[in-house]
Amino acid sequence: MTFEQHGENRFIVPIGPQHPALKEPGHFEFVVDGEIVTGASVRLGYVHRGIEKGAEDRTWTQNLYLMERICGICSHIHATAFVQGVEKLAGVEAPPRARAIREIFAELERIHSHMLWLGVAAHEGGFDALFMYSWRDREVVMDMLEMLSGNRVHYSANLIGGVKYDVTPDMMDKIRDGLNYLEERLVHYLDVVNNDETFIGRTRGIGTMTREQAQLLGAVGPTARASNFAYDVRVDAPYAAYTEFPVEMVVAEEGDLHARFVVRILETMESIRVLRRIFDNMPESELVTRVPRRIPAGETISRVEAPRGELFYFISSGGGEKPERVKVRTPSLCNWGTVITLAVGHKLADMPMILAGIDPCFSCNDRLVMVKRNHHDPQLWTWADLRNYGIEYYR
Amino acid sequence: MNLTIHPLIVLLFFPGGLFLMVSGLVFQWADRKLVARFQNRLGPRFLQPLADLLKLLAKEEIIPKGAHRGLFVALPIIALASALTAALYVPMFGIQPFYSFQGDLIVAIYLLSALTISLGLAGANSVNRFSLVGATRTLTQLFSYEAPFLLAMIGPALAAQSWQISKINAFAGETTWLIIAQPIGFLVALVGLMGKLELPPFDAPEAETEIVAGALTEYSGRGFALFRLSKDIELVIGLTLVAAFYLGGIANPLEFLLKTGGLLLVMALLQTAFARLRIDQTVGLWWRVGALMGLVQILAILVGIYIRQWWL
Repeated sequence: MTFEQHGENRFIVPIGPQHPALKEPGHFEFVVDGEIVTGASVRLGYVHRGIEKGAEDRTWTQNLYLMERICGICSHIHATAFVQGVEKLAGVEAPPRARAIREIFAELERIHSHMLWLGVAAHEGGFDALFMYSWRDREVVMDMLEMLSGNRVHYSANLIGGVKYDVTPDMMDKIRDGLNYLEERLVHYLDVVNNDETFIGRTRGIGTMTREQAQLLGAVGPTARASNFAYDVRVDAPYAAYTEFPVEMVVAEEGDLHARFVVRILETMESIRVLRRIFDNMPESELVTRVPRRIPAGETISRVEAPRGELFYFISSGGGEKPERVKVRTPSLCNWGTVITLAVGHKLADMPMILAGIDPCFSCNDRLVMVKRNHHDPQLWTWADLRNYGIEYYR
Repeated sequence: MNLTIHPLIVLLFFPGGLFLMVSGLVFQWADRKLVARFQNRLGPRFLQPLADLLKLLAKEEIIPKGAHRGLFVALPIIALASALTAALYVPMFGIQPFYSFQGDLIVAIYLLSALTISLGLAGANSVNRFSLVGATRTLTQLFSYEAPFLLAMIGPALAAQSWQISKINAFAGETTWLIIAQPIGFLVALVGLMGKLELPPFDAPEAETEIVAGALTEYSGRGFALFRLSKDIELVIGLTLVAAFYLGGIANPLEFLLKTGGLLLVMALLQTAFARLRIDQTVGLWWRVGALMGLVQILAILVGIYIRQWWL
């Protein structure tokens, strides 16, 4: 991510690190000519939390809880990615019912995440009524998650080798009722997104990204799928129970903001459909298999489809009780390039919506702050350098 | 209704001054509450606007570097003064205006514009980039809604053959409601009022997700409180004007409450129903649709008057 040096007589509107449009800290600089944006740059790294380093000091089980805390919105999918990688290293497979329950949690989480996004994106466009209504309805799915796990945000449903919570028929009935209500509401929101004149004026033809651009910039998730780039880990490399209960990929042609709204709402409806299918054919089995405490040495990668796109984990085990290295690449990181590219040529008023259009998650993607120093090669920092820099910085 | 009160009391307490400010706060509360209920929220408590105001007044006012000190302090006062003065010519609360002369309609509209201009100047009198963008947008919006709004106000004036607000009010009370004869004018006036007050969907000048608080970003404490208060008063004046002109005049306090309340209800509904317009969309809407509609209305009225004169 580049942070350009800028001349004196250019008018730059800074957004962030503290700004009402941003719910998390990030810094964007938009060079404007009147209302037209002629240049954009992004600077991240305000919420680097050292989670990857922290993971090396915790046991495999403790890490489950740490990984869940990478993201507050898609907590379950992080734990799932981690657990699946560890299970692969250990050579075990979770029982069918456990895998189905993982999918249930993942899809409920997707519903809640997409509805949250719908509200935030509408708010960025100044459509507060949609914001309030979609967040009200989101409470329904939050209640379901609370009923299943006792928690609204960090469900901690995963265990290495299975899941913690069972889904009883009684719970399924309650969730079915909730899903019926949600589906009804989503049909309404789709209607609003497709037919509200002022809303279409703010979304159609704004931030249009072609399929080629999406591929070139490495976009993932709904952002890429809205540009007709058909790639979904759930379909292309099924994990959990996605082979037994497949989802249909939702793609759109247009590639603009409007397409991103439509893709996300249709994806939410698809989640509801797949949840119903799972409830109708819930496999019977144990919830957990036995996993050795020491994970055999080896390296693996684990990919899952988070609500924002492909989530990638690299896990390396030295054969001990703790991982040697865990590398997380969250989907938001892949999508930043699209924001910077698409911003140019649009109005300043469109910036918050383009920004929100990728459903960014700042804290998730902050990994390491690379600081440019002129007398130093920025690519090579030894441990002593880093330590010195830290001491100097806080002096 | 006609009252005889000492001029000082009129200016300072009732119906000008203090009473006007309190009613501004009440209308702000009603607006916020209605919008909140339409959005399925709880909304503020009744005393919330007053609490906000008192808190802001008690706070330290920070004058930023790069701003002209005198202007920074004076602009909120000018804004509030113009709003309070404009109210003197308008039949507030159904009471006959105490100061009235031929042409006071133009003066009242001018004073309300002076408020917006002080807002724009307040933004321009700052080196803050959000303020500057906000000021540009405030003034751009001023140039877009002002003409259609004025046209919509001229319609009833032409029908009443007078430039005096009290006479137009009296005329509107005698004939059928002008909303029936001039529906386009009413629509333009109501939506123009929303543009004037920078209410959603015309809130691009203070779009918080883009430019924080627009022109008022650098204002805190007293200055901010006064600007907020003057906008609340502008809301009451605007509603009274539209109700007096188009909804059959305002002759007593009960009528005032019912008619302005009804208008506020419609306005709150309009505020919730749309996404925010970009500033270019606002300008386009006003000049392509609003101004044209206003002109068509004026033309229709002129033809109507001509025909009537020819008939009689």
